[in-house]
Amino acid sequence: MKSLFWKIFVSFWLALILFAGLTLWTTSHYLEKARSETNTNQLRNNTTEYIKQARDITRGGDINALRQWLKQLDRRDTIPYLLLDENANDLLNRSVPLRLQQHVIRLERRSRYDDDEDDEHEYRRPHHDPIIINGQRYRLMPDFRSVTLSRVLNRPRIIGTPILLAALISAIICLLLARYLTAPISRLRLAAQKLAEGDLDQRVSPSMGNRKDEIVELAKDFDYMAEQLQTLFESHKQLLRDASHELRSPLARLQVALGLARQRGDDKATQELDRIEREAERLNELIGQLLTLARLETKTAEVETKPVELNELLEQIADDAAYEARAINRDVKIIKNTPVTINGNSVLLGSVLENVVRNAIRYTVEGTSVGVSLQDDSEKSGWVVIKIRDHGPGIPDQMLESIFEPFVRVGEARDRQSGGYGLGLAIAKRAVYLHGGEITAANEDDGLSIIIHLPVNDS
Amino acid sequence: MNRILLADDDIELADMLVEYLNREGFEVDTVHDGKAALEKSLNDHYELIILDVMMPELNGFDVLRQLRTHSQVPVLMLTARGEDVDSIVGLEIGADDYLAKPCNPRVLVAHIRAILRRSESATTTPATVDILAIGDIELQRGARRVLLNHQPQTMTSTEYRVLEVLLESAGHVVSKQDLSDRALGRELSPYDRSLDMHVSNLRKKLGPLADDEERIKTIRGVGYQYTRP
Repeated sequence: MKSLFWKIFVSFWLALILFAGLTLWTTSHYLEKARSETNTNQLRNNTTEYIKQARDITRGGDINALRQWLKQLDRRDTIPYLLLDENANDLLNRSVPLRLQQHVIRLERRSRYDDDEDDEHEYRRPHHDPIIINGQRYRLMPDFRSVTLSRVLNRPRIIGTPILLAALISAIICLLLARYLTAPISRLRLAAQKLAEGDLDQRVSPSMGNRKDEIVELAKDFDYMAEQLQTLFESHKQLLRDASHELRSPLARLQVALGLARQRGDDKATQELDRIEREAERLNELIGQLLTLARLETKTAEVETKPVELNELLEQIADDAAYEARAINRDVKIIKNTPVTINGNSVLLGSVLENVVRNAIRYTVEGTSVGVSLQDDSEKSGWVVIKIRDHGPGIPDQMLESIFEPFVRVGEARDRQSGGYGLGLAIAKRAVYLHGGEITAANEDDGLSIIIHLPVNDS
Repeated sequence: MNRILLADDDIELADMLVEYLNREGFEVDTVHDGKAALEKSLNDHYELIILDVMMPELNGFDVLRQLRTHSQVPVLMLTARGEDVDSIVGLEIGADDYLAKPCNPRVLVAHIRAILRRSESATTTPATVDILAIGDIELQRGARRVLLNHQPQTMTSTEYRVLEVLLESAGHVVSKQDLSDRALGRELSPYDRSLDMHVSNLRKKLGPLADDEERIKTIRGVGYQYTRP
């Protein structure tokens, strides 16, 4: 019974059989018991007891109270008790079996004509005592042969407990079964979600224990898929890393060769050499960014943390950036700053701020300044929020998330000249993530805000 | 002619750099692995060692670490671009400066000149013992020695220069631009943290003042100040 199909089939089947069987068994057991009571003293004693109750009720001569009581008794007891008058008519007008009619008439006849010569005769027994009301004689007769299954089932109070028990047991069985079936599925679902979020280390089959069914097969396939994805992703990144590494050597030689060409002092090609130098510098910066991103994205990207005075770091970078911005008639201003020390990596945090601020300088309109602020997060205690706002064109709302991906361009024409967002924001996102924070972008009335939330885990 | 040792495992690049540096007026020897670099720099006299981090046998950091136990010769590290941590590590273990490689040879020459100016100023100082003493610290300028509570301290020539400039203006703020010009011999470039690293090294080596006050204070947005006791 290894496959899920058979597991579901057999266990549902078993649960159904169990429930039905248990119900049948309890009812029939009860029925048997009720029938086997016919000749026992128990039944007679019960009848005598009921007769006593009936007499108590009829003492006031209220026939309706007797009816009421009889109805209740009928609901309570499995065995129907008929209250028959001298003509063998039931007080509640229920049909009376011929056998009982005859019995009553026989009893009546005897009690009418007989004398006291036979004290031990059956009709003298207390369970045959008549109930007399308003001069009318009634006899309480248990009609045990009319005890039927449907009568038993219609009186839930009688077999309620066993049925409830059966329901409870089968509920527990079904609950366990449902859990057994769905628990691994939710585990799979969770793993799939995490995988989608980029955690490629997710594996599920080790948590499946000794199961052997379709779900385990699915888990194995999932793991295989995750592994393939991981390998593919790793080799993709490895390629990028290796390629960037290898690009450095020729670039280093190119730059020295360029230097040698300049030393020759031939002024004819100065413009071209300038251009080559500029492009080499651009290439150089790009390779640096690629390698930084690749390093931050490796699994083992270890971040050495030390207390970092965030406000001071922000000030230094804003100062440096302002110096750079003023050269192109823009500015960087610190709008708000609070002393904050967080546990982090100053190099990484520095590169986050540098990348974002320099990006803002590139997009802010000439004559405006980039606003930088650092303050406690008003919504989350123990967090700080850094906001860097430019007065540029902003970006389309649907791009607000994707600008943190490598080489995303917002508008083809404009960015080709400005170089797009390149890798700066991707590096910033990764570095913020490694610090347990998050980075988002939001459009303002005139410009774009990059908002960085960081936890202050001071220790 | 200034004698420089260039340690880089890229032979083609090293050859071109030798040619370039020769024309700039330097005499350059090259080695292509860490072991040779360490041997040559210990046995021969150079005014500057340029160490590439990525080298076979011994990497640049290991060479620098072992070199520093014997010698305070100026060292310029060539760190791998994209590995920002490398530059910090280099400065922490006593490099005088670093450059991310690949780099523009013009920038390399500027850095070399700055470092050489720093160390040359030592040899040209008058032979008379010029002593600058403030509190528990004493600078013997001729010998370029630093005494803390009369105990000699080891420091690189760059650290010495940074300390000297700060001590000369003790009690006053020295702006970062100024400190960079006078101590590192070059203009402060944006996003360059090397000055902060040197100051941080000095703080570590010298510790706080006797009354637990900070020896070198950071004045936000301006620069650094040596606390006059």
